[in-house]
Amino acid sequence: MLELTNLRARVVPEDGPAREILKGLSLSVPAGEVHAIMGPNGSGKSTLSYVLTGKHGYEVTDGTATFEGEDLLGLEPEIRAARGLFLSFQYPMEIAGVPVMTFVRAAMNSQRKTRGEPEVSAPEFLKLSKVAAAKLRIDPEMLKRPLNVGFSGGEKKRLEIYQMLMLEPRFMILDETDSGLDIDALKVVAEGVNALRGAGRGMLVITHYQRLLDYIKPDRVHILSAGRIVKSGGPDLALELEKSGYDQFLKGG
Amino acid sequence: MQLSDLPSRRTEAWKWSDLRAAMGGQETTLIGAGPIGGEGPIAAFAELMGDAYAAGAQVIAAPGEALISSMTEGDVGQYGSLVVKAGATALIVERIAVSGSALRRILPTFARIEVEPGATLQRIVLQRNDVPFGQAGATIVRKEAVVERGAGATVREFVLGEGAKLARIEVSVDAGEGAHVELNGVYLAGAKRHVDFTSRVAHGAAGVKTQQLVRGVARKGGRGIFQGKFLVARTGQKTDADMQHNALLLEEGAEIFAKPELEIYADDVACAHGNTAGQINQDAIFYLRQRGIPLEEAQAMITRAFLIEAVPEWMGEELRGEIEARIDRWLGTQA
Repeated sequence: MLELTNLRARVVPEDGPAREILKGLSLSVPAGEVHAIMGPNGSGKSTLSYVLTGKHGYEVTDGTATFEGEDLLGLEPEIRAARGLFLSFQYPMEIAGVPVMTFVRAAMNSQRKTRGEPEVSAPEFLKLSKVAAAKLRIDPEMLKRPLNVGFSGGEKKRLEIYQMLMLEPRFMILDETDSGLDIDALKVVAEGVNALRGAGRGMLVITHYQRLLDYIKPDRVHILSAGRIVKSGGPDLALELEKSGYDQFLKGG
Repeated sequence: MQLSDLPSRRTEAWKWSDLRAAMGGQETTLIGAGPIGGEGPIAAFAELMGDAYAAGAQVIAAPGEALISSMTEGDVGQYGSLVVKAGATALIVERIAVSGSALRRILPTFARIEVEPGATLQRIVLQRNDVPFGQAGATIVRKEAVVERGAGATVREFVLGEGAKLARIEVSVDAGEGAHVELNGVYLAGAKRHVDFTSRVAHGAAGVKTQQLVRGVARKGGRGIFQGKFLVARTGQKTDADMQHNALLLEEGAEIFAKPELEIYADDVACAHGNTAGQINQDAIFYLRQRGIPLEEAQAMITRAFLIEAVPEWMGEELRGEIEARIDRWLGTQA
């Protein structure tokens, strides 16, 4: 479903020199699987999520990235989203003046328009929203407030998953979704994420810690270091990491 | 008065709105443009434009009355004074619509408004420009108001400015004791349009509360100007004043000039001000695009929300709707 081959990418700040972050990353996530990417700070985890979703300021210099056989790198971010790519942001943006529901409905209809599907009707949208909010234990009043403005870290993460449930993406990238969540919120969020696991969907779970993977069980675990996958394995790899740290995998890597 | 008597960029208060240069191509040779509230130049200007300057005429607003005026090219200037009686509430809606017509292209208005003790004035100025986007037009808008308020009076004002060849919308408020002043505005400086919001609030009595929030946007070739002054005299103790001006430059080549000024002579006051001009946060744009919203819609959505924060609730649904429609039209989100 998602195929990355020898991906090299650099971050190009507006002021300052470009730095290469991804240095030949290869990864294959088949449909229906959940893969975890673990790695220390600065290993390129967030860069990977931004390169896949097409953020400005990131430049791919070599390699390929395809999604269901289509070259991803030539597509605008909104087209990638319409194809079904969703990023749950590590730091969700505050968008003043735009209520959550207004925003999500606009997003949903934009995606549908790009795919040539009819718009969602108001009653249908409200129904979907009610179900998603209940699943994540979100106060419906919160959905009338401007997106993320004044929300706590945990509320923002919950809202990311709410958007995910509403937009029903084909492929999800969760960038440190566990940060800022207490254990109860973590369980609620994981339940929401697990509701979207299925045959046609893929997922990349980016995290520092094993904790999230207790609730969102990965099929494969990859260790990212200095811009490359240095080790891949089954779910046990995450447990091993938790026990003995990253160092054993990084030496000479 | 002659063209050379007009203020130009060499006059400090007009340095970004060169009236003399803008008037250069006009057939009319002069315009009253003395210091704000200047009786002499206004009267002289009215006379020379062939307008009746109703020096002594006064309108007294009946309680709860809504006064609505409108003008466009070809209309004579409007000059007058208004009294809002003690305890009464008056709504004034002043519409100026620039159409691009070749008729008389100078739209001057001058109002002197007295708000008696305990009275409330709600004033809305809607300066539209219906000339197709990107065309200059030759119209000049010059709008002035002087508001004097009694103790405990309330003045709320909202101004929408869509600009013209040169548009200057100016207000001067002299606040009475314990008065409440709210000055909000939104300006939309499209290509080849010039829009200038200039304001002055004098806090000469104790306990005045003033809030100002102006939001503006400019496109390439457009110029937005904000000049705001809060003057707190020695007698203006316990003044509580906040001035905010925030602008977005939507394209390279857009211009925003801002001069916020606080001049304070009293020692027991709270005065704050904020002034920003910048581009839309690209991270916010990316966030919207990642959710599937196309670039241009994402920009419009964020810009719209930014502007609408300065449109006050007190205006009511209908007028708010009118202003939101103008903003949407300008942003191109409405067919």
